[in-house]
Amino acid sequence: MFDSKVIRRRRAALAIFVALSIGMLTAYFGESGGGVFHTLQRGAQEAFAPLETGASRALKPFRDLFGWFGDTLDAKGENEDLREEVEDLRMRLAESDTARRDARELRGLVGLTEAEGFPQGTEPVAARVIARSPTVWYSSVKIDKGSGDGLREDQPVIARGGLIGKVTSVTGGTAEVTLITDASSAVSAQVQPNGASGIVRPLVGKPDDLLLDYIEKGRRVTEGTIVVTSGLTSSRVESLFPRGVPIGRVTRVDPQEVEQFQRVHVQPFADIRQVDYVQVLTERGSATEQAGVALP
Amino acid sequence: MILTPGAFVRCGLIAVAAVILQISGLGTGRVFGGYVDLVPLVVVAVAIYAGSIPGASMGFGVGLLLDLLVGQTMGISSLVLTAVGYGVGRYREVRDPAHGLMAIPVGAAATLAWVLAYAAVSFMLEIGASVSPVVIREMIATTLLGALLALPVFAICRRILRPVLLIDPLDLRRRRQGPRETGPIGLRGLEV
Repeated sequence: MFDSKVIRRRRAALAIFVALSIGMLTAYFGESGGGVFHTLQRGAQEAFAPLETGASRALKPFRDLFGWFGDTLDAKGENEDLREEVEDLRMRLAESDTARRDARELRGLVGLTEAEGFPQGTEPVAARVIARSPTVWYSSVKIDKGSGDGLREDQPVIARGGLIGKVTSVTGGTAEVTLITDASSAVSAQVQPNGASGIVRPLVGKPDDLLLDYIEKGRRVTEGTIVVTSGLTSSRVESLFPRGVPIGRVTRVDPQEVEQFQRVHVQPFADIRQVDYVQVLTERGSATEQAGVALP
Repeated sequence: MILTPGAFVRCGLIAVAAVILQISGLGTGRVFGGYVDLVPLVVVAVAIYAGSIPGASMGFGVGLLLDLLVGQTMGISSLVLTAVGYGVGRYREVRDPAHGLMAIPVGAAATLAWVLAYAAVSFMLEIGASVSPVVIREMIATTLLGALLALPVFAICRRILRPVLLIDPLDLRRRRQGPRETGPIGLRGLEV
């Protein structure tokens, strides 16, 4: 144990591994999306995809068991909330039917081509989640559809309830989806019905709480209002997300008297931690050329 | 550890199984706000049974595989897990722990070190978003789950690695003898 040769060998091994790790970190940051390490990642993901798919299927009962414990604890409180929400939604449905009829007439009058609600011109591709990032710092999932199914980078991804993220890397049979709860995520969004716009950012470690930031202070935002993607487009930039995809509901408004912008908390509609199936909105065109200037 | 192809295969199997299980299922099961993290447990299990160099090697390999398969920044996990594996391996070499329940504190300490060091490195490198206090709760819950799972994980790793181990700390404990009860008072335990 105290032999100088053993000590030297031990220190050399540690130094080599640390140097390799730091070297990889530096190279990874320095290279583009098509660099050696990114390519290596895509290759490894492609190679291990069948194994991950099998493991994901085999472990589903265990995941469900874990989920069942948590769900049972939450179910009681959630039940009351859901009853109220159902009442609220019934009323909204009636209002929405009326508004849709009105809107149809108005579209005919002014020649609008953009439909309200869910974005047109997209082809949803259903996919199954086969792997998830194990840490809270990088929120991403891997799905079992890839470029062979028409998926491209930057395409929006939705799950039951609403938007959950966008495709950030694609292989032949798999794709990586960076979730809206990832620290690097930012989505241009709009509050309905008053149209106040801002940027939805994550609160790391709290996937059921997003921040809608940079809202003009003059626009009053109230709790319970709906937040959707704004799909902002200007001469210079274009949002990667189509307009009108639901994101979540405003749960709290931070009173910030001295700030120039308002900030509100949004609870996402999609249960991002438990998502098993997603839909990728394809045929919106690859935005790789726009990525440098695009709004997230 | 006896460095044979068999030893590498056994370590490789443990690494691949742990990473696949982690990213394909266990990592998503939330229990009391935390998640089950097998990755640091298998690294420190190898380190505690085989020493610092195999511990650091296992940490590097598992970290590399994790970064490759999850698609996150390469080098972060391998850097942190190399340090964790080496540290626990050195602890074994210096202190020679042989208690049957050593897996619990070692597993808890390693999981805590992993989540804290990973968070620190992520912050230093690229995380710029707001961080909720829930993260702290999640770290504590994950550490406690790590402590709970340490015993079975260590037992499985020990069973896999045992044929290639030079010294098994738990066997060593069984073979240790108490001090002799007879003989000159200054020479007890010296086999005189």
